[in-house]
Amino acid sequence: MFKTIKHYGRVTLENLKMSILTTLEYPANMIGWLLSNPIQFLIGFATIQFVVAEFGTIAGWGYGQLAFLYGLSVISHALSMIFFVQGWFMGFYVIEGEFDRYLLRPMNVLYQFFFTGFNLIGITDLIPGICVFVYGCIQIEFEWSVYRVLAILALLIGATLIRGAIYLIIGTTSFFTKSVNDFGAYTQELFDKTTMYPLTMYPEGVQLVLTYLIPIGWVSFYPISELVGVANGRFAWQGAIWVTLGVGVLTFLVAALFFRWGLTKYESAGN
Amino acid sequence: MNRARGSAYFYVYKTRILKSLAYRFDVYGNIVMQCITMFASAFFWKALYAGQETVQGVNVEDMLVYTVMSSLMSVVFMTGIERRVMQSVKKGTVATDMLKPINLFSIYFFEDLGNMTALIVQNMIPIFIIGSLCIAVPKPVSMEAFLLFFISLIMAFFINWFLAACFSMWTFTAINMDPMLQVKKHLIRLLSGSIIPMWFFPDWLSNILNLLPFVYIYQLPLDIYIGKYETAELLPRLGIQFIWTVVLFGVFQFLQSRVTKKVMVQGG
Amino acid sequence: MAVIQVEHLVKDYKIAKKGKGLKGAVKNLITNEKQVIHAVRDLNFEIEKGEIVAFIGPNGAGKSTTVKMMSGILTPTSGQVLINGKNSQKNRKEVVQDLGVVFGQRSQLNWDLRLGESFELLRHIYQIDKKQYEENLEIMNDILGINEIINTPVRQLSLGQRMRGDLVAAMLHSPSVLFLDEPTIGLDVDGKYAIRKFIKEINQVKGTTVILTTHDLGDIQELCERLIIINHGVLIEDGPLNELIDRIAPYKNLIVEFYDETCVKHPKAELFFHEENIGKYRFMKKDITAAQLIQEISEQIAIKDVTIEEATIDDIIRIAYHKE
Repeated sequence: MFKTIKHYGRVTLENLKMSILTTLEYPANMIGWLLSNPIQFLIGFATIQFVVAEFGTIAGWGYGQLAFLYGLSVISHALSMIFFVQGWFMGFYVIEGEFDRYLLRPMNVLYQFFFTGFNLIGITDLIPGICVFVYGCIQIEFEWSVYRVLAILALLIGATLIRGAIYLIIGTTSFFTKSVNDFGAYTQELFDKTTMYPLTMYPEGVQLVLTYLIPIGWVSFYPISELVGVANGRFAWQGAIWVTLGVGVLTFLVAALFFRWGLTKYESAGN
Repeated sequence: MNRARGSAYFYVYKTRILKSLAYRFDVYGNIVMQCITMFASAFFWKALYAGQETVQGVNVEDMLVYTVMSSLMSVVFMTGIERRVMQSVKKGTVATDMLKPINLFSIYFFEDLGNMTALIVQNMIPIFIIGSLCIAVPKPVSMEAFLLFFISLIMAFFINWFLAACFSMWTFTAINMDPMLQVKKHLIRLLSGSIIPMWFFPDWLSNILNLLPFVYIYQLPLDIYIGKYETAELLPRLGIQFIWTVVLFGVFQFLQSRVTKKVMVQGG
Repeated sequence: MAVIQVEHLVKDYKIAKKGKGLKGAVKNLITNEKQVIHAVRDLNFEIEKGEIVAFIGPNGAGKSTTVKMMSGILTPTSGQVLINGKNSQKNRKEVVQDLGVVFGQRSQLNWDLRLGESFELLRHIYQIDKKQYEENLEIMNDILGINEIINTPVRQLSLGQRMRGDLVAAMLHSPSVLFLDEPTIGLDVDGKYAIRKFIKEINQVKGTTVILTTHDLGDIQELCERLIIINHGVLIEDGPLNELIDRIAPYKNLIVEFYDETCVKHPKAELFFHEENIGKYRFMKKDITAAQLIQEISEQIAIKDVTIEEATIDDIIRIAYHKE
């Protein structure tokens, strides 16, 4: 067991090193995204703020609370981009036969799929996330404590796992459909609409689905509403932050099992 | 355009329709995702309007019509030219492509037109039905408004396409277009009124945006459709829209000839 | 015990049937017809330790599919592959630890970084002990001169150099079985020579079992004692190259140029062509040798010149492919 952890740890470090070297090979690429991603999220946030300024509140959430929600949501998005973005491109891996290489190496295939390349470009998403989050903290005069730091860490881990799990589940369908679909744009659209706004603006049926069927509610809305003390609808749980962590681990396990099944349908490329 | 060439363009147009129809999974996935976007916007406005009659002279019903129509427009306002130019440059076939007797950018235009036709049939109609049943029936305020909307819509289509075409010329200079394409996509999404109309923006900002081409892609046709302005107020805006259409066409022509010359000299 | 055992191996693919034209495209939106392709049907064979086996067949014969099932990439529809007695599906990690694989058309090297970085990563993935790793690199350097290119970014390597890099990458962890899928495709004469030399050497020095698919007959001639020919997913030939030649083309042709138009017959050879002063004889190799035949003919009549024609490996394989 200890030997296995050490093995995966060493390989992870080596992969990280290679990812850094590869990213440095193309500095222009990094700079491009460094412009693009912050613009996208900062303007997006600004437009929400304009509307809320005009209307007052949305589903009981005020200005600062929305910034808090938006900021943390972008941060977990950024983390999921760094670690799990490959899930978006699963269709490409399936059609081009890119899993051949992973299947030929004596390590877990899912581990190799996610961690052979770290997407360091994802860091460019972290910047606007942190900016908006800090702005929200100031607006609502968020009081920091050790417990709250731990809670936010747990929340981010859980949220990142849920996002990764959903990318993985959607991506795994490529094994069955055998087509390259760019799910990235769709997935992000779905997450943006459901994690950056209060879930209670949706009808209860939708809330129910997003709580139990597709656990997106746990990515930001439930834990954060508890953290900032806003009303959070019928389906909220007590201790939502820690539930988020559990939901994250659980959905990831389900996604990994689904992936394992999908992999047996893998057909490589060519004849 | 002589007859042989005309039929070549028609062929490109038709092939594109067939190609777009070929991916069933893509079609259903797209419809689902576009519906999610539409419903999210609708619920967003419903939640905001809770307990408020009109804001900025617009009530919730108008806002819902605005949302449905904007969703329908965004379904068909898709441009593939940027990706096609990118591929052609990446593969190094751009010089030989340009040597062909039919204009490369015209081919891309007809491809996009074909794509749009397929999208109208397979995506726009289902989304129109779903939107009408679940959110609001997008009735125009008057026949006159509908006609003006249609004129404005056609200009909007050209502005959108010319912007994309001008943008695609960057491929010949920039190394990686992907982030640039994202920037463009989000600028249009956020600053064209496709999700949030300019009325809710601070005055100084909406005044600036009214001078840029973005608002003439979504906001102006939609404003006309829901009857936000009197006809007299609309005419100068339609005038600006027309000017932008012409200006962007000019810029596109200029860039096109420059790029063609450059490629011919350097061989791509 | 055999290193590789292939037992009743079967692979079927399902592909979607696509309609043609506008009508077909609309129909595809609604219906979902599937068609089953039988890529591999009931293959059985064994490969012993230290063999070099060529796996050949026309395009689309199912040889890539078979190799991919053997190396554990594809799950068989039924049947199984045992490598060193282990099932390559159930014990994937153990099996691949002892497997090296090179796909000629696809590299496992990191395109953007220097070649050495890819090797370092593999060292960690396969947990190769540092001393062993350096020893292996040293051996490979002797054969392939890998040190010259180890600090070059992979994208700057020529195809031949990249292929050498890929071979080294596949052998770093000293696998006992090496799969090569078209290892010499697209290479120049020098490149092919280097690769073949490498395969021979590791086979002799390390006793590595090598299975290669190829369309290059030079590869087969120079490397392989054994041929497995597969077509339409069925094994149609399996045996040493000489045996195959003896079976498919057990004869040779002797072309004799005489001084005039007179000619003789011979009881053990068939005179199938005679015009002017040229005579062509076909004889079974088991009946008589060419030397003996020439001697016996020349005892009866003066011979000016002789040529011996033999079926080339090219001919043999073409005949085998068309045999159903």
